[in-house]
Amino acid sequence: MRETMSEVNLNGVKQNKGVWLVKIPKYLSQQWEKATEKGEVGTITIGKKQGKTEVRFSLSEELTARGATGESDASLQVPRHHPLTMHTVKGQTMAVFSQTESEISLEGMVVHRAECRAVASDNYMKLKKLQIQESIKPQRFSQQLEKAVTHVFKPVANHSFNVAYQKKKKTEGKMVRAERQVVLDMLFSAFEKHHYYNIKDLVEITKQPVTYLKEIIREIGTYNSKGKHKNTWKLKREYRNYESEEEKDEEEMQTV
Amino acid sequence: MTSLGGSSSSTTEYTVRVPKNTSKRYNIMAFNAGDRVNCSTWTQARMERDMSARRIYGDDESAEGAGGSEFGKKQRDEARRRKYGIITKEFKAEDQPWILKVNGKGGKRFKGLRKGGVTENASYYIFTQCPDGAFEAFPVNGWYNFTPQAKHRTLTAEEAEEEWGRRNKVVNHFSIMLQKRFREQERGGDDEDESEKTGKKKKNIGRGGELHITDLEDDLMMSSDNSDSSMGEDADGKSKAKKNVGKGKKKKRKSNDKEAVEESDDGDYEGLEVDYMSDESSSDEEPEKGKPSKTEEHLKGIDEASESEEESEEEKPNEEEAKEEEEEEEGKKTPVQTEKKKKKGKTGLIKQIRTWAKLCVCKKRTPPKRPSGRGSAGSSKTGSRPGTPSIDSATTSNTLRAAASKLEQGKRQNQGPTESPAAKRLKMDPSSQSPAPSGKSTPQPPSGKSTPSSSDVQLTEEAVRRYLIRKPMTTKDLLKKFQTKRTGLSSEQTVNVLAQILKRLNPERKIINDKMHFYLTE
Repeated sequence: MRETMSEVNLNGVKQNKGVWLVKIPKYLSQQWEKATEKGEVGTITIGKKQGKTEVRFSLSEELTARGATGESDASLQVPRHHPLTMHTVKGQTMAVFSQTESEISLEGMVVHRAECRAVASDNYMKLKKLQIQESIKPQRFSQQLEKAVTHVFKPVANHSFNVAYQKKKKTEGKMVRAERQVVLDMLFSAFEKHHYYNIKDLVEITKQPVTYLKEIIREIGTYNSKGKHKNTWKLKREYRNYESEEEKDEEEMQTV
Repeated sequence: MTSLGGSSSSTTEYTVRVPKNTSKRYNIMAFNAGDRVNCSTWTQARMERDMSARRIYGDDESAEGAGGSEFGKKQRDEARRRKYGIITKEFKAEDQPWILKVNGKGGKRFKGLRKGGVTENASYYIFTQCPDGAFEAFPVNGWYNFTPQAKHRTLTAEEAEEEWGRRNKVVNHFSIMLQKRFREQERGGDDEDESEKTGKKKKNIGRGGELHITDLEDDLMMSSDNSDSSMGEDADGKSKAKKNVGKGKKKKRKSNDKEAVEESDDGDYEGLEVDYMSDESSSDEEPEKGKPSKTEEHLKGIDEASESEEESEEEKPNEEEAKEEEEEEEGKKTPVQTEKKKKKGKTGLIKQIRTWAKLCVCKKRTPPKRPSGRGSAGSSKTGSRPGTPSIDSATTSNTLRAAASKLEQGKRQNQGPTESPAAKRLKMDPSSQSPAPSGKSTPQPPSGKSTPSSSDVQLTEEAVRRYLIRKPMTTKDLLKKFQTKRTGLSSEQTVNVLAQILKRLNPERKIINDKMHFYLTE
């Protein structure tokens, strides 16, 4: 997590770095992710044709394949040439800031906006068709079940679940009463972790029969019948030794 | 970089690189053009995430094992939530807004909210040009719209509603925030004072410092709070202008902020035409409502105020005799006001305000509206209703009787041609005052013995005739029709007058249900 107020590195704006904000279609950015380590994805050509400035982006050869890298599947080719339409940013002041784990820095101001357009070639149309087909598929669909779900159970002498449960009980056996002191130790260590416990949880922790456990805990703890932690057991004051401030406040309130 | 020749076209080529191994995540910081943000002027900037939403999401709970923890609480809570189908949204730190502080303490503050849906259908890349001429493209991770945050005080929604409701009356809008600040100060100060003077002070505070043109809002209780406004006030922007020195009426009912008083609806007075300083009175009185009570509007310049100060000085002692409760209250008010004024430390204006106060108290000049208390000390009929005597000259009657008789005279004239050059004569109830001290008075209407009372009911021969024509009535019925409260006569008088009328009319008698009924046939 970042520390609270981090100083922003203003080098970018101080040097008046200008950047372009370019909108790239998804399929193109997907291709770019396949780029090699060096990162070259294509070229931008800026030309002046009869007074008008034309900017074009050409995808590099290797990245036109839509399948696995290395293949050049004729049917699925990403178009290569994309004209970029340029816009000014008069209506909005935009800056670019970057963040790493340690710092935030202002990289620069946006001077131009551009959108990457595609030429309407056959290739492109095929590509789009595929895309549409994929996106049309609904996320939720109906599926036929082989076996119907029933909530009505056949009357059986004993359900399988029950049988398993009883077996488990038998193997485990009844809970054996351990030594009183042992149980007390277990309880104390449990109460060190949390302040309030449900009796069922204590039973599970100590593996003692309920009545026995209740006897013991009645010695050292009290029962919260109301309040925030209702139906829970907590240790008696004299046994408590919590360091928390809340505890101290509680004690203060008691004495007052 | 290759450049191709060509006469009409020239192209330059740049390679585009998408660096792979960068740990930097790029985001867009967008400002509104109208805010005129110039990043190059920033000397220092700090930015952090605004994590205040974490509490709301409930993730901010005490850690496990801390004081007051329960065994298995988390699991139990989650199970409960699942059972009830409560789906809580995760708190994603990435989506939280940014807080940007520029140029340290005294500088601007911005809040950057993440714009959703940016990367759904298209990807944005930042193209920067490297020293070697190639472009480097970085994908944009998130888009944040930064808006400047106001440092100045703003009104809360309730306060804004309140002020909106008063927009027709308040001219000096600059003082609204000033008032708010003052109020806050006071609340922070001693609460004791406030509780004491709630009744009066509260009202004053609430309205103090604002210019009141009309006080139509207090239509329930007429002139109990006469608020005068002055045109001269406009010039002085920040002046904590006039206070309402309401003339207390017998039935004092101030519309405190605390009281639940029927307020006029917004827009009720939109189309009303208001006369400022006209010599004619409005020809028709305003329609009487259940409790007729409109205050008189009284606009004067400060100059006039000072002029009439003398008179007012004179009047004041007199009035003090006459008015008992009112005076007390007023007396209370002025010290309150002055105190207040002193607190504010605007001694320069205190004098002006004092003169206005006195002015409010005694409006002569244009026909002062005598408080009913004065005129009809005897009659307790309608309580605190302003009378509108059309007394032309500024009178300083010493005795109640004299005042009352003058009132009647005024009324007589009133009925006639002369007007009360009141600024705006609102609801009044002349009859209430008249009858008591002046047993003799029987102005114009030849028919009726009673002096004209409230427009509704008059004990006139005409009225009696109407009733008797319509259907036969007993004397009791007739008396009921002419209730003493309405006609302003005492029961004895009513009886006398009625008897006389009946003698004159000489209606026919019939016995219905063992009771003697009178009736007339036309």
